[in-house]
Amino acid sequence: MRALEQGYTACSVCHQLVKLPKEKSGKYLPCPRCGEEVHARKPNSIQYTWALVIASIIFYIPANLLPMMHVVTFAGTQSDTIISGVLYFLETGSYLIAAVIFIASIVVPITKLLILIYLLISVQRKDSKSKLMKQKLYALTELIGKWSMVDVYVVALMIALVHFGAMTEIKAGEGANYFLLVVIITMIAAMQFDPRLIWDIKEKEDHGTQR
Amino acid sequence: MMKKLKELERGEHLVCCHECDELSYISDPEKSGRFECPNCGHLLLRHRTGLVEKMYALSLAALILLLVTNYFPFLSFHVAGNTSHTNFFTSAIYLFEDQQFLLAIAVLMTTIIVPLIRIVLILALFAPLYYGHLPRYAPFVLRALYHSLPWGMIDVLLVGVFVSMVKLVKMGTVIPGISLWSFMALVFVIAAMQVVYNPHPIWERIDEARRRGVAV
Repeated sequence: MRALEQGYTACSVCHQLVKLPKEKSGKYLPCPRCGEEVHARKPNSIQYTWALVIASIIFYIPANLLPMMHVVTFAGTQSDTIISGVLYFLETGSYLIAAVIFIASIVVPITKLLILIYLLISVQRKDSKSKLMKQKLYALTELIGKWSMVDVYVVALMIALVHFGAMTEIKAGEGANYFLLVVIITMIAAMQFDPRLIWDIKEKEDHGTQR
Repeated sequence: MMKKLKELERGEHLVCCHECDELSYISDPEKSGRFECPNCGHLLLRHRTGLVEKMYALSLAALILLLVTNYFPFLSFHVAGNTSHTNFFTSAIYLFEDQQFLLAIAVLMTTIIVPLIRIVLILALFAPLYYGHLPRYAPFVLRALYHSLPWGMIDVLLVGVFVSMVKLVKMGTVIPGISLWSFMALVFVIAAMQVVYNPHPIWERIDEARRRGVAV
């Protein structure tokens, strides 16, 4: 039994059951319990999510090409990108750390973007297959989102610790800013997507389950 | 322990899954246990004993640990006769000095300000509840906790600390400070808080107070 068809929806904050007005109006509908604005579906969810996904793909390119940090010594400046950082750890034998950075900075953002693109396309094409799997994939993007921040924190901590004036200094690279934007924008993109849209798609052949 | 929902048992507690929009009935919402959405398996309601006591204790512990973590030096680093001490504020301050405002604000917000606000809000809600008083600002606190949840990233910072320690060990001597230990404890206390935290019984208390005509 779908809540929308019965004229109900759940408040996203307090999960209070809210009766929707008979006619669709663009009016502000506050939750009677917590006061948060209630929507049957997040408005323009698909468009916003697409816009944010595309923005983060664009930012992801300079995030990978530009250096995350510069190490300034007498000998000159050495710059590290995300990939060169991973390769450095591989060469020096710190496989675990290399794996952590590789997963947090490369696997997690790409996985999130691919899942969101897949969900967006399948909702737009009204693909009714494997809804439960899609729901789980969406839950995964929300779960792993913030873990990409590891590399940003590493840069911030290195700057704080290696700060000896003219002698040796670490400075944040331009890539760090873009990477931070990728993390934040993909997190907002995942929040903008409405998982209820996955379940709104009607099954093509009816298995006799009249809803 | 999973309670299977009895579907379509009329006249009983009606709930709507906010993930998949399925309406279902809960036969006995006061009973302890987990109630999962029959359609997608998402957790709808959960009842466990001792919510208020545990949250009060954990939030007090978290507040003390957070203050200790940010007051004492975190890591000290020696290289070629130079020493630097750091806590989380120093990393944000150096980022500000280098004109990296975006990074500075993001680091400051996600590692200090949001966790601090969340802990203070939880304490402000559960301390009065522990002494049997439902504060007027309870709905505001519950909403703020819902919206701030994804932006507190202290657990991610722990991984970042380990990675930067491994990086720095190759350049000089890293000496862990008192703060590092309290920080590690803090991450576990915050994780415990997130496991125990459950807003539904508080919302039910708010409903009940309003039915009795108390302004909440």
